[in-house]
Amino acid sequence: MTAFEIGVAILFPWIFALAIYLVNRHWFSVLLTVLNFFVLTAIGLHLWFSLHGALMFQPPHFVDWLILVYDYGLLLYFLKQGLDRKNPLVSVLALIQLLLLTWVVLIKPPSEVPNLYVDRLTVFMYLIVGFVGSMITVFATRYMLEEDPKREGEFVALLVWFLGVMNFIVSVNNIEWFFALFETTTLASYLLIRFRGDKISVNNALLALWMNQIGGITILLALLFAIHKYGITHFTQFSDHASLALFPLAFLGAAALVKGAQMPFHRWLLGAMVAPTPVSAILHSATMVKVAPYLILRLSPYIHGTLLAKLLIVFTGFVFVVTALLALNETHFKRILAYSTISLLALMMLAGAVGTPLAVTVSLMLIAFHAVAKALLFLEAGVLEKVYHAKTIYDIKHIINKAPFTVFFILVGFLSMTMVPFAMFVAKWLLISEMSELLSRASYTITVAILAIGGAILTVLYLKILGLTINRDEESFRVKLERLPLLFAAPNTLYVILILLATLFVNPLLVKLFGPVTGAVIGEVPPFCGQGLDVCIGNLKLPFWEILIAFFFVVFFPVIANYIHFKVDRTAEYTCGEPLRVRISTYNMVCLGKASPYFETIALALFLLVLIVGGGML
Amino acid sequence: MKAILLLVALLSPILGGIVYGIERKLKARMQNRMGPPLLQPFYDFFKLADKRALQIHSFHSLMGIAFFVAAWFAVFALLVGPNILVAVFLHVLALLFFTAGGFSVKSPYSVMGALRELAHILAAEPILVFAVIALYLTTGSWDIEGILSSGKVPLFEMPLLFAALVLTIPIVLKRSPFDISEAHQEIIGGAEIEYSGIFYEAVYTAKWLEYIFIGTLIFLFGGSNYLIGFLLVALTFLLVWLIDNSTTRLTVHHMMKFAWGVLLPLAAFNVFWIAIWR
Amino acid sequence: MFGFLKRFRKKSPWILHYNTGSCNGCDIEILACLGPKYDLERFGIVNKGNPKQADILLVTGPVTKRARARLLRLYMQMPEPKVVVAVGACACTGGVFRYMYNVENGVDRYIPVDVYVPGCAARPENIIEGVKKAIEIWERKKKERIELPKLVEGVEGEPLDRRTLIRQLEEKFCKRLPGEEEE
Ligand code: SF4
Repeated sequence: MTAFEIGVAILFPWIFALAIYLVNRHWFSVLLTVLNFFVLTAIGLHLWFSLHGALMFQPPHFVDWLILVYDYGLLLYFLKQGLDRKNPLVSVLALIQLLLLTWVVLIKPPSEVPNLYVDRLTVFMYLIVGFVGSMITVFATRYMLEEDPKREGEFVALLVWFLGVMNFIVSVNNIEWFFALFETTTLASYLLIRFRGDKISVNNALLALWMNQIGGITILLALLFAIHKYGITHFTQFSDHASLALFPLAFLGAAALVKGAQMPFHRWLLGAMVAPTPVSAILHSATMVKVAPYLILRLSPYIHGTLLAKLLIVFTGFVFVVTALLALNETHFKRILAYSTISLLALMMLAGAVGTPLAVTVSLMLIAFHAVAKALLFLEAGVLEKVYHAKTIYDIKHIINKAPFTVFFILVGFLSMTMVPFAMFVAKWLLISEMSELLSRASYTITVAILAIGGAILTVLYLKILGLTINRDEESFRVKLERLPLLFAAPNTLYVILILLATLFVNPLLVKLFGPVTGAVIGEVPPFCGQGLDVCIGNLKLPFWEILIAFFFVVFFPVIANYIHFKVDRTAEYTCGEPLRVRISTYNMVCLGKASPYFETIALALFLLVLIVGGGML
Repeated sequence: MKAILLLVALLSPILGGIVYGIERKLKARMQNRMGPPLLQPFYDFFKLADKRALQIHSFHSLMGIAFFVAAWFAVFALLVGPNILVAVFLHVLALLFFTAGGFSVKSPYSVMGALRELAHILAAEPILVFAVIALYLTTGSWDIEGILSSGKVPLFEMPLLFAALVLTIPIVLKRSPFDISEAHQEIIGGAEIEYSGIFYEAVYTAKWLEYIFIGTLIFLFGGSNYLIGFLLVALTFLLVWLIDNSTTRLTVHHMMKFAWGVLLPLAAFNVFWIAIWR
Repeated sequence: MFGFLKRFRKKSPWILHYNTGSCNGCDIEILACLGPKYDLERFGIVNKGNPKQADILLVTGPVTKRARARLLRLYMQMPEPKVVVAVGACACTGGVFRYMYNVENGVDRYIPVDVYVPGCAARPENIIEGVKKAIEIWERKKKERIELPKLVEGVEGEPLDRRTLIRQLEEKFCKRLPGEEEE
C-alpha cells in the first residue's frame, strides 16, 4: 500500500508536468499546480503518519534498464549540447561520464538490494518539496503571465517535473540511479536557466551544466571504487563498511559540495539568477541545492568522526564565513540571496558532517526553514521585479511607502534566518551550544569561532538590506496597503504563516518532526525534555515566555508601529540647518570583493584537501 | 539568589543611571573638573519628560521605544532567563530596533550612525558569544545561577578572553576610541540624533541598560567569588573610562581590524587552549 | 505632576551653540565655559550640538544673510520650552559688523531673544550669568506655548506640522545659489 503512495509522490508531478505542457493554458496550469500542491502535501502527510521505520522497495526489473537507457540518452544530449554550443568543457565532461558509466555497467555485480529506500528523512524531503516547492509552481503561473504567456505551459511544466525528479532522488538507494537523477536535476536546471534564451542565459546555463557534471563524475568515480573495492552498489550497503570506504564517501561528498554550490563551484548558482525568478526560488529552496545537505545527511552516520567529516567541517565552515562576507559587497537583490543560500547550505552541511544527534536535528531544521524563508524571499524578489521593477537594493529604497505588505514579508523572510525567536535562530543557537558542548570535550574546536563570526555577518547583512527598505519621510497613515494579484500574494502569505507558526510551536516540531527524522538518519534522538511549548534539550532551555516576547517584538512591533500615530508635532530632519535634500544609500564594503579571488583559491585548496586527504588517498 | 537577580533586573534602568552618573562624575574628575552631581542622569530624565515632543514620524519614535523595551528585556533574560547565550542574541535584537530607527528617517547622520552601528555589531557580537561560551566551558552551566554557584572563578582560566572582553566594552558602549557610531563631534550622536523629548528619553535610558548588561557579563567572570566579581566590574569600568578619556576616535576600519585581528584571536586562543588543555 | 518635573529643568539645561558668522571670539569664550576652568557641566549643562535635544540656544555673530535661514531652521527644530541667549555685541545688535551689506544686525530681528549678553567678546562670567538668567526665564515657560520665529506671517500651515513650516521658510528666506540645485 505504501509503495503505491510512493509511486504517486514520485510519478504524479511527471504526469502533471506532461499535461501542463500539452495543454498550455493559464487556467489549466493554475488548476493542476494547485492540485499538485494538495496531492503532494497530502501524500507526504499520509506517508509521515503511516510509515514506521524504513521501507525498502524493489520496483520492477525493467525500470533498471529504462534508467540505464535514459542515462545514456541524457549524457549524449549533454554531449550534443556541448558540441552545438561549442563548449568543449561540457562535451569533454559528458564523454568522460559516458566512459565511466560504461565501465560501471561492465563491472557491476548483480545485486538484490532494493533500489528504493524510503524512511523518515525521505518523507521529510517529500513534505518540503510538496509544501514549499509546489507553492512556487503556483506562483510561477502568474509570473509567466507577466513574462511570456505563450511559453507558460513549458515553463511551469519544467518546474513541476523538477519536483517529481526531486521526490525521486530522495527515495533512491541505488547509487547508479542516484547518478541518473543527479544528472537529471542538472538537466532540469540547465533547461530552466537558459529559458530566456538570450546569450547570457545560455552561457550561464552552460556554466551550470559543466560544473554540475563534475559532481556527476565524482559520483561515478565513487561508484566505481565502491564496486571494485567493496562490492557496494547501494547507499544502505555502506553500513557494512562504515568509516572504511572513505574514498567513495569522499567522492560522494564532493558531489554534494558541487550541487550545493560551495565555494569554487559557486558561480553556477549566482549565474542562475538570469532565469525567471521562480527558477531561482525553486533551485534555492526545495530542490536542487537541497540535494547537497540531503546527501551529506545520508552519509553522515558513515563518516561520523572520521578525518573526512572533519575536513568537510573545515571546508564548509570556511565557505560559510567567506560567502557571507562576499554577500556584504553585493548590490543585486537576487545575488545577495544567492550568496546567503550558499552560506547557509554550508552551515547545513557542517551540521550534517558533525553528525551528533543535536547537530543532525539542527541540519534538518535549517533545511526546512531555509527552504521556506528562501522561497518566500525569492517570490518577493519576483514581486519586486514584476510589480515594482526593482532589482538592486537601491531600487528597493523607500519601498515601504508603496508596498508595506511586501516589506513586512521581506522582513519576516530575512529576520527568520537570523533573529531571536525564529526557528532558524533556534537551530543556530542549538548548534553553537552543541559545539561548545563538544568543545568542552576538546573536539571540533574551530567550529565555535566559525559559527560566532558567520552568524554575526549574516545578521549585519540582513539588517543592512532591511534598513534601506524602511527608509521613509512620511507618516505611515498616508500609505495604503498594496493590492497584489492573488496568485502572487497567496504563496507568500502561506509561507509567512508557516514561519510564524513554526516559531511559536518550535518545541512540538522539534519533538514530533525533527526528532523522529534525526532518529531515522543516525538512529539516535537528542535528549528532549521540553514540556508544552518550552524548548528544552539536555541543559539547553529556551522558555516559551522568551520566545513569545521576542516574537512580539520582531513580528508585531513593526506592524503595530505602522498603525500607532502619536499626536505630536512633526519636524524636519536635522541637516545642520542646511536646506539639503538627501539621497540615502548604503555601504558596499567594496574591499571585500577584492578578496574574492583569494577566497576562491583557498576554497579550491580545501576542496582538494577534502577529496585527497579525506578520501584516504594520502 | 533568584529574588536578588529579579530585583536587579527590575531596577536595572535605575542602577544603570547611577552607573552613568558615576561615569560622568569620574570622567570630570579625571579632567580636573568638578563634574555634574551623581544623580545628573535622573535630572536629565525628568527634564526630558517635561519637554514638548517633536518627531519625524511615528514609526521612528516607536523604534526608539522598542529599543528601550527590548534592551530591558535582554537584561531581564540575562539575569532571570535560563540561558545567557539567548540573552546575548536578544541584545542584538534590541540593537536591531535602534538601527531600524536610524534607518527609517531620511537624515544623513541618522543613517550613517545606523550603518556604523552595524559595524559595531559585527565587531562586538562574536566576542560576546565567545565570552558566554567561555563561561560555559569553565563552569559547565548556561544559566546565571549555575555560574554564580559553580564554585569556580572563570577569570583564572580565561584571562586573555577576559582582556578581550574588557577591550570590547568601548565598542559595545560606544566609548572612545570606538565611539564611532555615536561620534558626537562628527555625526552628532548617529542613530539617536532625530529623537527628541520623551522619545529621546527612551533611547537615553536604553543606553544605561547596556551598562548593566555588560556589567553582569563581567561580574560573571568572578564566578562564585562575588568579591572578585565586584572588583572586576569596578576596575573594568574604571579602565574603560580611563581609556575613554585618554584616546581619540578611530575609524571603522581600525575598529574592525582591532576586533577581528586582535581581540577575536585572543579570545579564540584562550578558549581553544583551555578546551585542549583539559 | 508637571510642577514636580519642572523642578528639574534648572538642573539639566542642554545647549545648542550656533555661530551666525561671528569672528569666533565669542565662540572661544563659550567653549572656555565648558572647559575645566569654568566647568559648566557641574550645573548639568552639556553642549548637545543637536537642536532636537537642546533647551538653550546660544547664538553668536551678527546673522549673515547666508546664516539666516539656517538659524531659523535650527530654532524651529528646538522643542519647547526653549530660550535664546544672544552672546556678544554682534548677536545683540550687529556689533562691529552693523550696517554691513551682508548682515542682518542682530539675532532679534528673526527670533525672539530672551537674554542679551553684551561684550566684545563676552566674558565667560557674563555668559554663565546670562545662561543663569536664561534658566530663570526658561523655568517660567510652558511647553504648551509654541514659539515661532518672527517674520513668519504669510507662512501658512498648521502650527503643529513644523515640517511644512520649515519647508515654507526655506522657500521664503533661502535663495538657492547656482549649483545648489535639488537632485
Ligand atoms: S561680539 Fe566681538 S568677539 Fe563676539 S563675535 Fe562679535 S566681533 Fe567677535
